[in-house]
Order: sequence, then structure tokens, then C-alpha cells
Amino acid sequence: MTRPLFPSQEIGSLARPRWQLLGQRGALLDARARTELTSWNERIHFLPSEDPALKLLLSERSTEVPAATVRDWGSLFGLRYLEALGLDRVYDGEARRVEMYEAAVRHMEGFTFEGHVRSFDQKYYLKAAATGPVGLTAPYHLEEFRFLKGLAKQELKLPVTGPYTIADWSFNEHYLGRRPGWKHRAARREAQREFVEAVARNAIRPTLKALVAAGCRVVQIDEPAAGTHPDEAELVAAGFNAATEGIDAEFSMHICFSDYRSLFPALLEAKRCSQWALEFANRDTADHDAYAELELLNEYGDHRAVGLGVLDVHRDAVETPEVVRDRILRAAKVLGDPSRLWVNPDCGLRTRSLEVAWQKLTSLGQGARLARAEIAGSAS
Amino acid sequence: MEVSASLTGSFPRPESVVALTRDLDRGRATPEQVEAGYRSAEADVLRIETENHLSPRTGGYLRWPDLFRPFATSWPGFEVGPITRWFETNTFYRQPILKHPPERTPGALARWLPAANGALPAAEARAVLPGPYTFAGLLDNESGETFPSLVYRIGRLLAEELRELRTLGYANFQFQEPLLVVRPPEGPAAESVRAAYTALGEAAGPADTALWTFFGDASPVFPLLSSLPMGLVGIDLAETVPEELPVPASPRGLGFGCIDPRTTLLEDPVELVRLVQATVGRLKPTRVHLGPGAPLDLLPYAPATRKLGVLAAARDRLGRGGEGS
Repeated sequence: MTRPLFPSQEIGSLARPRWQLLGQRGALLDARARTELTSWNERIHFLPSEDPALKLLLSERSTEVPAATVRDWGSLFGLRYLEALGLDRVYDGEARRVEMYEAAVRHMEGFTFEGHVRSFDQKYYLKAAATGPVGLTAPYHLEEFRFLKGLAKQELKLPVTGPYTIADWSFNEHYLGRRPGWKHRAARREAQREFVEAVARNAIRPTLKALVAAGCRVVQIDEPAAGTHPDEAELVAAGFNAATEGIDAEFSMHICFSDYRSLFPALLEAKRCSQWALEFANRDTADHDAYAELELLNEYGDHRAVGLGVLDVHRDAVETPEVVRDRILRAAKVLGDPSRLWVNPDCGLRTRSLEVAWQKLTSLGQGARLARAEIAGSAS
Repeated sequence: MEVSASLTGSFPRPESVVALTRDLDRGRATPEQVEAGYRSAEADVLRIETENHLSPRTGGYLRWPDLFRPFATSWPGFEVGPITRWFETNTFYRQPILKHPPERTPGALARWLPAANGALPAAEARAVLPGPYTFAGLLDNESGETFPSLVYRIGRLLAEELRELRTLGYANFQFQEPLLVVRPPEGPAAESVRAAYTALGEAAGPADTALWTFFGDASPVFPLLSSLPMGLVGIDLAETVPEELPVPASPRGLGFGCIDPRTTLLEDPVELVRLVQATVGRLKPTRVHLGPGAPLDLLPYAPATRKLGVLAAARDRLGRGGEGS
């Protein structure tokens, strides 16, 4: 497959359209949702405007459209949205998933949901405790992948929440509680290792095997929790290795809002990982060149590809194409090899409106073009 | 032995508030509905604290998005910065960016305080505030002021807040200082910590004060902690081995952070009592206080409430000399 220099990719989630949220709940679409659906369809043409079901959804009888149809359209919308932006690798904005943690854990055995915990501001996630041995009820993400595989015009990259993150975002009752002296740090550490490996081997690996058997070729293992406990970096690599062992696919690892230095050299042991997809834009300020942190990879002689976060997903301010270009060029200079760079948002854009995300991703594409031109110009 | 127990920071938001704040973001709830939800939830937390005979009481500080937001949004000189990881947890704060030497806006803090606390007797209402070292150390300092100077300046501003809170009826103050044990101060920074806490101690006057540490081992910095003019010093037992705490030069109140909010597993009150008694026998604190090792908002609401029951049971058992069920 031929790709341009600085190919682009998404990282994960997009905000769910109002029409999808209402339609899936079986609620009547209000004027705002109908306008949203109509205007986006005019922009990216993800549904034929004469489709009788679409007309029904836009009418006062919208509740007659089955929830499953609306969910499929939400997925198709995410796919076409990202394709229309010209990204080289796409998915569907995780349109069918409740949330990256809960969507996975719901398919696992041994977990009990305990309630919501705040992540920041007014964002929360439903947190579970492992109260028994971790297992898998059935491989997950298969339905969404099969649906998208038949429709995608660009290469699909499937995001899967990683074993370390699943374990870290859960309470470890089962593997910790059966150890004497569970309050001691050493006991906590060993119990966590056991937990991570159980999630990796018993739940994620069988899921990955099923996905690859269904035709999935590119998988992003999401480990946003990787930097939470710097002294557990080796568990991140161990979990990655256990989850991907013997599976023939291209794997990347996404990490964000972490001190990357604290993760190395332990993370180098994730041998099957071919790309680090990292957040940088959020920490890139006038006083701090975040992209200089890539020097870390040079120090360890690591030559894997880098998915470069060039869009801050926590602010509405839209990066200009020039800012994106400059970020790419700074990173290319640090790495000394532009061909290793992919460009992407810092993380999933779910916290931004679809309009803001669109503008940001438009800037990403324009910035990548400017950076390519700059490289081409300096080479000629 | 007189033993008390209390919350030591934010309590988790109940599911009703979670739903309301989410609905607000989605345009399905009004700010007035959310405010009513907070008031009701604060009253519920106060009721839970009362039922468990906790003292002082806090009302849960449910509105605070993070420890610094009330100040970062009201003190001139600050901007609210990027999402930043809150120590080794899956929670985040927005890092305050200090553009100019900070000032203070009188009256701004009042709206962040739990409304239900207004009904408490003065000595029973606890104000939970950031400690000056943690505040100065976790912000992005673009003001040009040196770190030791900033610690002292923030300490003085917090002292002014404290004076104002006393006029509102607060007579119990706790300062959250995780950074003191995660990244202990040295040299001029340690001196600035002393100076800042001297200012806070003076402002407190007869009010009760506590400095609470968490997320790190308190042993290395315990001599400094014990020398500060605070009524008691709290330590996180998930990170600190009590046997390693040095005997302080002068006895002080000791807070045992004995309930771990990083796990839903319930502690055994009998085991806690044994641990506390052994430490008390060695360090001879002037009083003993029990609390969570770190703010309970790392847990969902229901497990956090269950943990408070363990805290109360341990306190009761200690009060009886460690015996009984």
C-alpha cells in the first residue's frame, strides 16, 4: 500500500451525534437532531437521501426506525466522516461502544460494576471490580468490525483497550484479596501482574484472535493508563506481549497524558508493537517543546514508527495548519527520519463537538500537506 | 485514649449528581437542577458523616472539580491549564497556570463550600484546602517567581482565605499535601514550607488544623511535618510503614490514613486497631485521628460509603481500648 509522507490516522472515539443517541433510545428526534442529521448527510453523504428509513427517522415517526438500524448508521457516519476528512487509516469513532473500558469489560467474566468514578471535571467512567477469575463471555468488537470491513474505503485500524488499562481502571479484589498482607506494596504489585496477565490471556488475546480471523489486519492497543504507575511500566509491556502472542497483525500502542520517560526502557520489551501513538499537543506550550520528548526514542535506539499527537483533544481552539505543520517538522527533526511519522489527534476526539473535531482534523490534513511540501522543498 | 475519625477530602459524587452533571453537559438539565442536586447530595454526605459519628464533618466537597479549581478560577494571576494526571491515579486535574504573582479575590471561595455545612456548629465544619507546597508544586509557574517564594506567597494567600472562612463559621482546617511526601522539599523549599505553615498557623488562631499527606511515604519527611504548627499530621498507611516513622521531637496529633480508596476490598478493623495501637505506643501522639488514606473520591459512592463504616468501626474499637466487636 502506497502512503504519503506523514500519513494520517484517527485515534479512537468521536462524539456521538444527537440523532444517534436519541434514535438508539427510541426517542423522537427533535428539531436539533434532525437538522444535525440532515446537514451532516449533505456534507459527507453517508446515507442516500431517498432512503425510506432515513426519511422515516427524519419524520414524526422516527421512533419506528429500529435501534439497530440507527446504531449501524452511527457507525457508518463515523466511518464516512473520517474518510471524508481524507485520513489514511480510519475506524468508526467507536460509535457502538459505550466507552472504551466498559465496552470491553461487559464482555468479560469475573467483573462486577461498582459505580461511577470521576476522571476529570464532569467526565466519569463506570468502574468495575474483578471479583472472580477473569474470563471471556464472547469475543467483542467483532460485529462492528465485520460491519465496517464491508464498507470501508480506507484501511481500518481497530482500537482495542489494552490489558494494563483494563486492570488499572478496575479494582483488583480477586487477585489481591486472596493474598495475605494485601495492603503491602509488594503484594499489590504481584497481584496486579497476575490481573494484567489474566486479562491479556483470558480475554483480550482470544478477542484479537477472533478479530484477525475475521480479517482485521491493523490493531491499536490503547493503554492510556500506561503512565499511571511508573514502576509498573514492565506490566504494560508484559500485558501487551501476552495479549498479542502468536497473532499475525500489525500492532500499535496508544499512550497519552503520561510521562513517557518513566515508561522506558521497560516499554521496549513490547516487541510486537510497531508504532507508538502518543499525545503531545496538550503539553506543547510556548515554554515547553513537547516534541523534543521524542529524543527519548533516539536515546534507546528505538526506530519504530510514531503516531504523533498534533491536536489537543481537550480544547476547542482549533490548531491552524501552520501549527500542525510546525509540530510535525519539529518531531521529524528530533527523530531524524520523517518517514517514521504518522499524524493523529492526541487521543479520541469524543470530548469535542463533531464540528470542532471536523475543523481540527481538517487542519491536521492541511498541516500534513504543508509539512510534506516543506520537506519536499528542502530536499529539492 | 480519645480517638476521632473524619473524611479527609472529597467524597465521590453520588450517581444522581453524576447523571445531573452529564445531563447538564448534554443540555438535558439546567444549572438550577444541578445546584439542587449538589445541595441534596451534600446533605446526604453530611448525614452519612453524622450517622458514622465522624467529627469534624465536611459535606463531601462534591463540587470541586479538583483541589485547585476554586483558586485557579478566582485568584487573579491564574489561568486554568491542561488536563494533568493526579499522581498515580486515573483521575486528572486541570493544571493552574500562573502568569503573574497570584493575588486573592475576597469572597470567591464561599460558593464552592458545601451549603449544608452552614448548619453545623463552628467546630464541626471542616474546610479542606490545598496545602501551599502541593499547590505551588503542581502549578505551571510562568510568573517568574522562585519556587520557595511562591510556596510562601500561596501560604499567605491561603491564610487570608482561612481568616475569611473563620468569619463564615469554620473552625477546623485541613491542608492537603500529597506532594510533601511524593517529592519532599529540601533546602530553601523546606524553609518556605515552614514559613507558609507558620502563616497558616497564625491565621488559624484557636481553630483546629490538620495537614494531611497521601500517595507517598511520610517517614523521610516526618521530622519536618511534625515540626509544623498544625494540630495533627495525617499519613497514608498504604504508602507509609508506621514502624519506620521516626519519633518526633515534640509530640503532636497523628492522623492514620487507614482506609485505602484505591481498593474496594474492605479493611479489617481489628487489624487496623492493632496497627494504630502499636504506632501510638511508640510515637506517643497527643491525639489520634483516623481517616481515609487519600480522598475517597477514587471510589464509587457505594464502596466509599461502605469504607466509612469500617473507619467508624475501627474508631469505636480503638476508643474501647481495642476490645469488643
